[in-house]
Amino acid sequence: MSSGGEEDHLYTFDEIDSDSIELYESQNTSEFTIHGLVTPKLTTVISQGSEFDINEDEDGVDTIYEGMLDTPITKSSKRVLCEGSVPNLNYECLTTKGIFERILQRVDHLQPIFAIPSADILILLQHYDWNEERLLEEWTEKMDDLLVELGLSTAASVKEDKDYSLHTRKVEFKDDFACVICCESKNTETFALECGHEYCINCYRHYIQDKLHEGNIITCMDCSLALKNVDIDKVMGHASSSKLMDSSIKSFVQKHNRNYKWCPFADCKSIIHLRDTSSLPEYTRLHYSPFVKCNSSHRFCFNCGFEVHAPADCKITSAWVKKARKESENLNWVLSHTKECPKCSVNIEKNGGCNHMVCSSCKYEFCWICEGPWAPHGKNFFQCTMYKNVEDSKSKSSEDVNKTLKKYTFYYRLFNEHEVSAKLDWNLGQTVGTKVHALQERIGISWIDGQFLSESLKVLNEGRTALKWSFAVAFYSDASHNLTKIFVDNQMLLANAVEFLSELLQIKNPEVIMKRKPEFYNKAGYVENRTTALMECGRELLCKGICKVME
Amino acid sequence: MSSSKRIAKELSDLERDPPTSCSAGPVGDDLYHWQASIMGPADSPYAGGVFFLSIHFPTDYPFKPPKISFTTKIYHPNINANGNICLDILKDQWSPALTLSKVLLSICSLLTDANPDDPLVPEIAHIYKTDRSKYEATAREWTKKYAV
Repeated sequence: MSSGGEEDHLYTFDEIDSDSIELYESQNTSEFTIHGLVTPKLTTVISQGSEFDINEDEDGVDTIYEGMLDTPITKSSKRVLCEGSVPNLNYECLTTKGIFERILQRVDHLQPIFAIPSADILILLQHYDWNEERLLEEWTEKMDDLLVELGLSTAASVKEDKDYSLHTRKVEFKDDFACVICCESKNTETFALECGHEYCINCYRHYIQDKLHEGNIITCMDCSLALKNVDIDKVMGHASSSKLMDSSIKSFVQKHNRNYKWCPFADCKSIIHLRDTSSLPEYTRLHYSPFVKCNSSHRFCFNCGFEVHAPADCKITSAWVKKARKESENLNWVLSHTKECPKCSVNIEKNGGCNHMVCSSCKYEFCWICEGPWAPHGKNFFQCTMYKNVEDSKSKSSEDVNKTLKKYTFYYRLFNEHEVSAKLDWNLGQTVGTKVHALQERIGISWIDGQFLSESLKVLNEGRTALKWSFAVAFYSDASHNLTKIFVDNQMLLANAVEFLSELLQIKNPEVIMKRKPEFYNKAGYVENRTTALMECGRELLCKGICKVME
Repeated sequence: MSSSKRIAKELSDLERDPPTSCSAGPVGDDLYHWQASIMGPADSPYAGGVFFLSIHFPTDYPFKPPKISFTTKIYHPNINANGNICLDILKDQWSPALTLSKVLLSICSLLTDANPDDPLVPEIAHIYKTDRSKYEATAREWTKKYAV
């Protein structure tokens, strides 16, 4: 844990770490890099208008060079924009099955200590939420009492032979058996533990079936004697205990959400286990986010469970999302129920039938329908139902609230647009697969040679996501600050780069694709670099406190 | 349905060997909807009162617990104004081996010994814990008012 807020602020980018940062996140994301892509061609792409690039002098001062970027920034020449680097995240991707196998290994390991059957140890562990330490503690204290307490043995049998259960616990067939649960007498199979509480197999199955998803130890219906996994499988007639273990591990993951997180993607059953959480405060302090990737290549933030949201940090992200949720309702309402006064732009709600409006703020009289002045309406009222061009050059509002709302709507629209584009890109991804296939078949190139397409697509997605979240950062940033302006320029550069790459990926003709292969590399490399630059710039805004959530 | 057989069995058991402090039986023809009455335990502030309860058996009874609520108003930390009862065996501690008569007996003992540490009505639980005589007086008053 970092020691406190005060110190945190002292740690700024005045001191420059000699190891430049080239990571905006953990090591696990950079398995794909495009090498040697520097070509002069790129200048044509980015030198339109007055773009900025941020270069850093030796003494660590940011300087801005107007309209120049002769070579894209390669990994080696990546600039240090904001001081600080974070340790790599040490994590693994698991499934409930994987966790269970690991638990079984631990059980084998513990067996000599406990000297009771492995199945019993499993139940003990299950009861203690798979917490070995707590179990061992209680075990040394209580020993046999614990076994009785958890229904692993009856008090009387503790001293006796411990293998008894294997002999007596079996499904038996009985003629004319009267079951006290369903109150029916029939020829049926029955089951009972040593306690002698015997029920027909149908009732037992029904009972167990209901309990499987709870993940707790299943006991006899009439006493606290526990059913072991073998008993459950015996009664059910098939391997059902795995389902119980599954639910038990699920509840374990939910209870240990500091180290374990479910992959938030739909239908993904992966669990990320962060082995060491000690670096998380460091991530927060430097406005990095602990992005992880599951085995199905879903990337998400371990901290907030959101998709990759760089350059925004978790705080900005949650504020933005919350605002979006709240505002979308508000906005909808405001847009559908109110109009702005044509003169002073205050939002007016019409709560009566008459179209003759008098602005309560500036006393301007106007018509609700055409928003024109009311004066000429007295004689020929219906003139105003004519189609009116919405293009109105409103004077700037004096209301701060209104301004914020406008600013928000502006950024939210951009955010949304990129979200929509990202979805379209996903569709594009579907077609890329077939394209690669076509390349292989029609011009006989190898699978590996066709991979540049999917790699480009991946870069495009990452660029798009970064761009999307950068609008959240922009919204919460102090617009008057120079760095914000640089950030906005960076956004624009990335936006252009992303569009170019997106356009390239639309090409359908395989021959053309192969001919323009170097361009794919170029553009993808450029998008990658611009993405990194934008993320770093965003992080700097956060580190410097230029971008923050106003309470 | 096997549940009707089981409910019928419980009904005949209740008729053959009725418990001393409570009674129960179906309302009209519906075997799944019962009414029960509990005599306020002698050693409790509910003594002298008769409390009515409404019972609904789920179709998958006895694998799911019956739904039981008081229809008579009662001042108790584990029973709220709607008559809902906070009792573990009516929720996650339910077992198919339990019967309605066992549940009614449990409710009787809940009247004698409330469980203020797991309250349904925190205000009453607070008074129960801090000013026992005030709790008893109010409970007696309510009993006289609603259950006699």
